[in-house]
Amino acid sequence: MSTPQTRFIARIPLERLPVLIGSGGSVKKEIEERLNVSLKVDSGEGIVEITPRSDTSKSWDPVNLFKARDVVEAIGLGFSPERALTLAQDEMVLSVIDLSPYTGKDKEDNTRIKARIIGTGGKTRRIIEETAHVYVSVGHNTVAIIGSTGDVEAAREAVEMLINGAPHSSVYKFLDGYAQKRKFKRMY
Amino acid sequence: MVKTKILTPLYSLRMSESQKSQEGEQRREVWGIIHIYSSYNNIVVHATDITGAETLAVASGGMFVESGRLESSPYAATRAANYVMEAIKQKGINAVHIRVRAPGGVKSKTPGPGTQAAIRAIARSGVMIGRIEDVTPLPHDSVRRKGGRRGRRV
Repeated sequence: MSTPQTRFIARIPLERLPVLIGSGGSVKKEIEERLNVSLKVDSGEGIVEITPRSDTSKSWDPVNLFKARDVVEAIGLGFSPERALTLAQDEMVLSVIDLSPYTGKDKEDNTRIKARIIGTGGKTRRIIEETAHVYVSVGHNTVAIIGSTGDVEAAREAVEMLINGAPHSSVYKFLDGYAQKRKFKRMY
Repeated sequence: MVKTKILTPLYSLRMSESQKSQEGEQRREVWGIIHIYSSYNNIVVHATDITGAETLAVASGGMFVESGRLESSPYAATRAANYVMEAIKQKGINAVHIRVRAPGGVKSKTPGPGTQAAIRAIARSGVMIGRIEDVTPLPHDSVRRKGGRRGRRV
């Protein structure tokens, strides 16, 4: 009754492969055990094949495949395994903002925008992470966010504001407003 | 004409007579496809026969909740999926492939919050699940994202 043919493919940069596998295969093993999948890593090309474990019973949950793919992709985008594995919980989503349409081919532009998102000593990123309750990772050409759906949307909005040139203070104000709303919603 | 015991779904009409007799009457799998389109604003669960051309049942998140904000919620997704699964079981489908997609293109490439709930509801409905695919359209190079140079102004 399981689904032997179903497989998901994820591509991650070669330099992140050691993180995905972990020392002695520990990280890979943990992902496999937590989500009941098996990962096949092609270390030449950075292609990870995700398949459900063959020995699983009927109660196997297909959602795990999607989760496993998200976890692998999150590690590829620069998150630590601990942070990436929060995606194994329900309601947690991974959202990626591609910077290339905003920066074009201009290297300096790219650096400037990433610097705006990270802030001095990681200040801005820390504020985004703390007020919106998300994890943010700024990669070569991407900004990745992990969190629950509403939180991710707010963080995404904030990052897009920064990319489009809004002053940091107004982004912080926006995030504060979201934090207030979030607190209010929790009361019900 | 071979006698058919169950309600004849569209798919079995398309099967040749020889195929039918080979598979036998008892544990015959009748396949369908569930297409899930999941955005941040809504979710559409759409069941078709195996060709993908004939609709068997459709439901969207908005059919089960009142406020627009909740259309993409896991609850609405579960309700929509349950509705569709009931409908296709009545029509004799007992095995499904699942195709999930997000808006894709220049829009969001991650499926919305209801996806997981919908897939889970399908898995719980007791129907056999075949392949699960992600069919989000991914551009190799794309047109400009809407919103203009100065971005979305709220």
